[in-house]
Amino acid sequence: MTSQGLELVARDVSVQFEGLKALSDVTLAVPRGRITGLIGPNGAGKTTLINVLTGFQPVGTGTVELEGNAIGGIAPHKLRRMGVARTFQSGRLFRDLPVIDNLEVTGVGLGQSRRDAITEARQVLAWLGISPLAATIAGALPYTDERRVAIGRAIMCTPRYLLLDEPAAGMSEHESHDLAVIIKRIAGELGVGVLLIEHNIGLVLELCERIFVLDSGEIIEVGAPDQIRRSDAVRHAYMGTQRDEIIPALAEQAAAS
Amino acid sequence: MSRPPSVIRQTIVTPIILIVVLLAMAALSYQFGSRAFNRTAIEMFINIMVVVGLYAFVGNSGLLSFGHISFMCLGAYMTAWLTIPPVMKSITLKGLPAWLLHTQLPMWVATPISGVFAALFALIVGRIIMRLSGIAASIATFGLLGVVNNVYSNWDSVTGGQGSIVGIPPTMNVWIGWLGAAVAIVTAYLYSISRSGLALRAARDEEVAARASGVDIVRERLVAFVVSAFIIGLAGAFYAHFLSIVNPGSFYLRTTFITLSMLVVGGMYSLSGAVAGVVAISVLIELFRDLEKGVSVGGLTVGLPNGAQEIAIGIITIVILIYLPSGLTRNREFSWRNWPLQRRRLVPPVQTALKETN
Repeated sequence: MTSQGLELVARDVSVQFEGLKALSDVTLAVPRGRITGLIGPNGAGKTTLINVLTGFQPVGTGTVELEGNAIGGIAPHKLRRMGVARTFQSGRLFRDLPVIDNLEVTGVGLGQSRRDAITEARQVLAWLGISPLAATIAGALPYTDERRVAIGRAIMCTPRYLLLDEPAAGMSEHESHDLAVIIKRIAGELGVGVLLIEHNIGLVLELCERIFVLDSGEIIEVGAPDQIRRSDAVRHAYMGTQRDEIIPALAEQAAAS
Repeated sequence: MSRPPSVIRQTIVTPIILIVVLLAMAALSYQFGSRAFNRTAIEMFINIMVVVGLYAFVGNSGLLSFGHISFMCLGAYMTAWLTIPPVMKSITLKGLPAWLLHTQLPMWVATPISGVFAALFALIVGRIIMRLSGIAASIATFGLLGVVNNVYSNWDSVTGGQGSIVGIPPTMNVWIGWLGAAVAIVTAYLYSISRSGLALRAARDEEVAARASGVDIVRERLVAFVVSAFIIGLAGAFYAHFLSIVNPGSFYLRTTFITLSMLVVGGMYSLSGAVAGVVAISVLIELFRDLEKGVSVGGLTVGLPNGAQEIAIGIITIVILIYLPSGLTRNREFSWRNWPLQRRRLVPPVQTALKETN
């Protein structure tokens, strides 16, 4: 595990809820400009790990480091100002505000004037190709647009790291392809270190250079997509069945949506 | 890249409409109203200040506050201390510090000082209370109301205790009332279009997401709390000059609940709602006041029992909460072009959302 260089790192992190171990000795690194994947069955502790990395969940034992500096115990809004951004599984847009203001809030939260924040918000919307949504009230957006606006809100003022919590949930194959393009551009063009949590394993295998697999609070496998594809441990944790079924799970998802 | 039109230019219409309409009301009252009617109008303007002040905090933060009337109390007593002639103060308020005992300021100086005093107090207590969220924050503000009321009811040598302090110069008139309402509206408007106002409204919708967007919620709430305390402190000072007496009972539960119903009835997330709610409830109160006095029908005087007014306001608030939960204005702002336009803008996306889920 490389510790030098520009990374957001969780080192030997454990978190307990009322005696229940949510995370035990988890070590994970998100390098700048790359896409890292985090997969695992429901209840494996993926969202808890994101919460730890973004300051929403206090670290039990272990450390969280941002490019070499310990960041345990720092409030979420301060971590965002230090460049650690995230999205939420449930979207969590500001429902009463227009889309443009949803993005503007981040700019304002990061210290921009309203005018500058609006200018930047327009640029981000244009960059994502969703400028026509600017004036729509966020609560009235269709599901997939909600996801894109949430990503736009998170990449305002170009963070250093972006943690995406199931951004493709409920998307069709076509839509998740569009999303994949956006995520690639965020890492490639903006130099953001992306951590992608997804149930759509096909998307993760396609996008990520390195994938961490979490099961029952423990990292059970780390490696390149090929290695994950072949891993017995992963197959067992995920499917409990034969290896070929990992990829068909994708087809099933596409059929369901 | 073309610069977008500034936020002020897009929204300035709302405070202008509100202030102009109120000016027209002040002028009509001054021209045609009786002395008693003018007093009702002044009371309405003071209530507008209080409710607009409440809006600055409640509307933007989404936290219900039961404690803001204590800022009115603070403002009213401060102006009393500053404007009552020293001769009278040395008899009734012996406990005041010497420098305050010998000061006598005109209303124009005392009123802003009263507002600032209330704001400073809010800055101190807000540092603690604003850390709480939801119902805990509301209960803490209720506690604040109780504490302030208790102190002012019992610190006899400084506040005159339960009794009234008399001798405040009665310098209010309709025009000053209108001016106060205008100042309150402009202040609340400037706050709600500020960075802090926007960030706080975002936190009102989604607290967790606001924090993830870099918003320091405790700080923004505190800013709103202080701004609203300033406005309500001014209102308290005006109220003292209106009645020319103050006593702690005027700044307690009854005022708290009437002003909150005004805000709820109008629509608590909009400035226009705050003003509209006060106007609507004031008209009702006036109506019921007349009915309580009695209407003579063919030699018989039929009157409602005392207290019918409060019951009616209670019922109306409940009915509004059931049928119009977002108030008379449905939480929208008055403006010439926005009203029909916003409606058009709102409808189509809802349809597409339905299509998606189907």
